[in-house]
Amino acid sequence: MRSKMVEPFVEIVRNEQAYLTEIASRGKAIIGYFCTYTPLELIHSMGIVPVRLTGSSRQTDKAYSLVPSFICPYVRGALEKGLGGEYNFLSGIIQGYTCDAACGIVNIWEENIGGKLFYSMPLPYNKSAASGEFMRARMMDLVKMLESIGGDFQEGKLRSSLELYGEIRQAMLDMYTMRYRGSLPLSAGDFLYVVLAGFITPPADYLAMLKTLVSTFTTTATRKPDGVPILVSGSIIENTRLFEIVEDRGGRIVADDLCTGYRNFSPPSGSGKDAVDALIDRYMNRFPCPSRSRVLERLPHLADLIQASGAKGVLFLFQKFCTPHLADHPVLARELNAKGIPSLAIEIAESPDVDGQFMTRIESFLEILK
Amino acid sequence: MEKSGKSKKRLTTAKELSRIIIEYYQECNQARGMGKPVGWMPPMNGGIEIFYAMDLQPVFPENWSPICAAFGLTPENFRVTEEMGYSRDLCGYLRNINGYVYGLMKNGGGPLGGLPEPDLIISPGAGCIPVMKIFHIMEERFPDAKVFRADLPQVAVEDIREDHLRYAVSEINRLIEFLTEATGRTLDRDRLAEVVMLSDRACALWDEIMAYRKSIPTPFSAAEIGIMFVMVTRQGTQTAVDYLTRVRDEVRERALSKIGVIENEKVRLFWDNIPPWYNMGLLNYFETMGGVMVAETYSAAWSLRLDVKNPIETLAMKSLMSYPMVSCVSIKKRKEMVLKACREYHIDGAILHSNKSCHPITLGQMDIKRALEKDLGIPSLVIDGDHMDERNFSMAQFQTRADAFMEMLLQKK
Repeated sequence: MRSKMVEPFVEIVRNEQAYLTEIASRGKAIIGYFCTYTPLELIHSMGIVPVRLTGSSRQTDKAYSLVPSFICPYVRGALEKGLGGEYNFLSGIIQGYTCDAACGIVNIWEENIGGKLFYSMPLPYNKSAASGEFMRARMMDLVKMLESIGGDFQEGKLRSSLELYGEIRQAMLDMYTMRYRGSLPLSAGDFLYVVLAGFITPPADYLAMLKTLVSTFTTTATRKPDGVPILVSGSIIENTRLFEIVEDRGGRIVADDLCTGYRNFSPPSGSGKDAVDALIDRYMNRFPCPSRSRVLERLPHLADLIQASGAKGVLFLFQKFCTPHLADHPVLARELNAKGIPSLAIEIAESPDVDGQFMTRIESFLEILK
Repeated sequence: MEKSGKSKKRLTTAKELSRIIIEYYQECNQARGMGKPVGWMPPMNGGIEIFYAMDLQPVFPENWSPICAAFGLTPENFRVTEEMGYSRDLCGYLRNINGYVYGLMKNGGGPLGGLPEPDLIISPGAGCIPVMKIFHIMEERFPDAKVFRADLPQVAVEDIREDHLRYAVSEINRLIEFLTEATGRTLDRDRLAEVVMLSDRACALWDEIMAYRKSIPTPFSAAEIGIMFVMVTRQGTQTAVDYLTRVRDEVRERALSKIGVIENEKVRLFWDNIPPWYNMGLLNYFETMGGVMVAETYSAAWSLRLDVKNPIETLAMKSLMSYPMVSCVSIKKRKEMVLKACREYHIDGAILHSNKSCHPITLGQMDIKRALEKDLGIPSLVIDGDHMDERNFSMAQFQTRADAFMEMLLQKK
């Protein structure tokens, strides 16, 4: 049952194309991105709207003429939308290099769909003075590129964007804390709608929506903390139905390690001698993503989330063919098991429907956890 | 599954390669006994020259995968990996080496004496995601090894500028400091200059050898590309230079005498992507119908000439360029290289291996296919496969498509 509180968010997600086409019609340049390692604050500060590309949970047809079947459904689906004209409002794609498939799709998009600006931004893997300097140079490359499509860089504007995004992320993290305490009056499916709308909506509008949402919490009854508490870990999740099934079958998603979730919000901001340094600081110290970190370094973070949320088990949800997640999974599952935390891994194919096997496996998993 | 077997080798020097391979792995296994630290590292970067210059032993787990495939060990390695919970959708190199280090190697097995355990691991923040994950696995498997976390962000070849190079230089210098501290050995700059000179000499010979393939008929085919072994494992050594000199002499002799791979070369083919290491005979498949695999994308990775006067800078540039040049980081550059090769090698048709084990090389193939057709009128055949996992390859399907493709090319002639 969809809560009325999240209707504005659902509306934006469901009408993404019309919503963004209308923004573009007002003369705003829109840049797409796949991965949350794209420096959104910088793009936004230059007067350009960053929008996360979506695409999972749809059949692909046109994209098969350009990419093989063994590329993840997410990027394949986004390309399908691009080829079908659903992203005609984009000025281009900027992508922090985080996986091979997304990097390839950016180039294929440029070759086959076109646009003004395409860039897979090389991001350092180490945290050092030299890597910080390297990353700063890449930020300045990006500034020049965005200027070429009408962007205007000013340190003060970047600082304002950092504050704005920081406030959004903090508001989301506060909701995560409420979730751990069982006081967030939203189902996991509804909460995912709130997250997904944030990838589409310009940040100032989105922050206002979040504030309105949070203000309704005080007058709404706290959600009853029933169901088996679980943590969901994995790659991009766009299908809210997956979470609805988990909660309908007796689970309660209390925490996540998703890039459509906690990984996108923690930490809310960084610090530094100037705004660019603060931007770099946050991107270098993010909650670890498997595409940019070692599995054993992810484990303590995951363990902390499990402890804070009281999750009894971990549900891994991966985009099929997602190398970073698939490569980490056996070690995570083994280490969690050693800590007495059972886990289940399910890969998400491109089908728009959730199949019966998913439901059966979830039911069995929840039975084990009870 | 029906196989076409091992590749047929016409070059005497290609047959000599097995001795070079045996000697290399003997050297790897004897290194520790001789007090020489062993380091595991990814190929295609300047680390190899630094290692040889510091008299350290480089070992390349990625190169071990083709060896395992040639010895038929891959299924066993895959079994071990899959039993550990790894998905069959992961790159075959990752599944093979993981299976090897947790299976045969633990039990003291493996061909050519197996791989020696590493004292050092050069773990890349660079290249493709699977290669990074391979080294993360190795870090866990060999906890006593000292680990260097390298960092070379993926930048398109055409976008490399002075500050990218500066960062790569700082990484090479950091590597030298790490190796000095970890092994107690110092880098003799004169020795490094000598190694870089030898490495560049190998590249020059490589280019010369590849250039002879433009001759009609071509003196050797992709089926003998195993000679690449010395470029992967021996760059910067006299061994590589001596061997490639012999290969060059033989290839030159064949080219000048117009000795081809087959008697009547009718169709010249190009191979894109990593070959199926478990079935290299596939590269000879077209020969019965007059088709010869004249050139391939992969060999271009070894064509990077080095500036012997600036050893550190040149190794930094090599490290920056190698991966983007043959991957989807730079589809424009790759397309340009394939088109140039197809023009220069007088190619009639291209075989594009849609390789489930390699996303970075497979992505962009359809754009290359279209450009070949549009710009050069060269048709392509896409074949589904996998460079390591033969379960993802159907010989019957390949034969059906390959036969029809060859018939079409022959009709065009």
